[in-house]
Amino acid sequence: MSSSSSQGALALRIAAVAVVVVFLQIGVVAEVPIFGVSVELTPLLAAFVGLLCGSVAGAAAGFCIGLLVDLCLVQTLGINSLLFTLIGFWAGRLQELRDPQGALIPVIVGAAAAATAFVGYSVIEFLLGVDAPVSFELLRQIVLGIVVDTVVALPFWMIVRRALQGGLPKDPRRRRRARRSYSTGGLSPISRRA
Amino acid sequence: MYGKTVRRRRALLLVLVVISLVLLTAYFGESAGGGLHSVQRGFLTVISPIQDGANAALKPVRGVFSFFGEVLHSNSRVAQLRREVDRLRRERIAEQEKMRADRELVGIRSLERKVGPGAYRGVVTNVDAQSANLWYSTVDIEAGSSEGVAINDPVVNGEGLVGKVTQVAPDGAQVSLITDSTVGVSARLSGSGAVGLIQPKVGDPEDLLMQYLPTNLNIVPGDLVVTSGTVSGEGESLFPPGIPVGTVSSVAEESPKSVNVRPAAELHNLNVVKVLTVAPGSRVQRVSNAIAKMPPGRQTGAAAGTGVAQVGGGG
Repeated sequence: MSSSSSQGALALRIAAVAVVVVFLQIGVVAEVPIFGVSVELTPLLAAFVGLLCGSVAGAAAGFCIGLLVDLCLVQTLGINSLLFTLIGFWAGRLQELRDPQGALIPVIVGAAAAATAFVGYSVIEFLLGVDAPVSFELLRQIVLGIVVDTVVALPFWMIVRRALQGGLPKDPRRRRRARRSYSTGGLSPISRRA
Repeated sequence: MYGKTVRRRRALLLVLVVISLVLLTAYFGESAGGGLHSVQRGFLTVISPIQDGANAALKPVRGVFSFFGEVLHSNSRVAQLRREVDRLRRERIAEQEKMRADRELVGIRSLERKVGPGAYRGVVTNVDAQSANLWYSTVDIEAGSSEGVAINDPVVNGEGLVGKVTQVAPDGAQVSLITDSTVGVSARLSGSGAVGLIQPKVGDPEDLLMQYLPTNLNIVPGDLVVTSGTVSGEGESLFPPGIPVGTVSSVAEESPKSVNVRPAAELHNLNVVKVLTVAPGSRVQRVSNAIAKMPPGRQTGAAAGTGVAQVGGGG
């Protein structure tokens, strides 16, 4: 399979996952409040696409997911696009630079993505001139939203990874297995090449 | 190669951010009929059927999640409903209390019309607190000396005699009920006109004893007992005549004759009472003061028409 076709397959997978998640978010998840707030899967998806596929795919997926959300929910166009682009790009850069393998990395990334989305959205809305005082209720909603998103981050990460796994350029699990065998006495990539 | 990748990545990010900002600015700046709004509406028109279909398909899933959500929230919901029930119950009790207080006020006015306060003025007040034991039965009222309430002032409610004021403060007073062991009331049987002294039965605060009645009287249970308007001893209150005290519940076969009297006023359930006060320097007050200073056992009288009847009580 050529590189462009594999990239195309990955893009299709990401698009399909994004559409399903956005519809699930609007149709089901948004209507099931937990502790008075609903789970926001879309910023998590943007972050996890970045974490799995890199900064370019993350930024592009984030932009498209944000635009889809803004269009479906008839919100101000561009807010979610901007935020999700940054979230996807940042998660992708984290993967490219640090390549974190810890089991809690999706949780931490999810929490950061949710915090960026919630706080960023509020800040932009206020900058655009929402004439309402900041109340403790808003802060409570933001904090609870971040907590709830953090809780669902790990299972959602597993679902997203499973959905995108076949199209990924480098399977993280395979890469991890290779690294483990090398560090525990297996052949190094150099010696294998040789 | 690496530099090209970096440049491409940065360029893509810049382009996406710029597009987002342009969209944001343009959308925010244009009117509701602008191009971006139209695009959004068109997208919504296209996607609405899909969204409806997805919603219908996902309805069972939503139902399952909602069920679990409702189960999770059921505790807080139950607590909220309990608070609501408590609030409604308190409101209902307050409403009932208000209605009962209104009935008591109507009763007090009715009693005034029947008995006639004479030289007495009335201070209608609420009961603050009630303390009762076998020996002492008192209630605290909100009216005090600042409203003209004085020691020994009679206290009534819509049903009959309640007691007399025994302690006074500027903004409150204590009333000893007629079931209190320290209170005695000169009373008259409304049928025969015989006068006796009403005293509480220690240990049975809901029963009064009317003593020192002539032995040859024909008294039957149900006879009405009213205040006589006289006093029989020092410190006794000068109750206006004709206020219902109670009804005869049973007659004791002994000499001197005594009868058991059930109080007319529901003394365990007082909310609003009326203190019968007299104006300082009035005739009634002068008579009251004279009575209070007399030694025990002396029979005293005062002129009719001032609310004080001729004496007939013994003791």
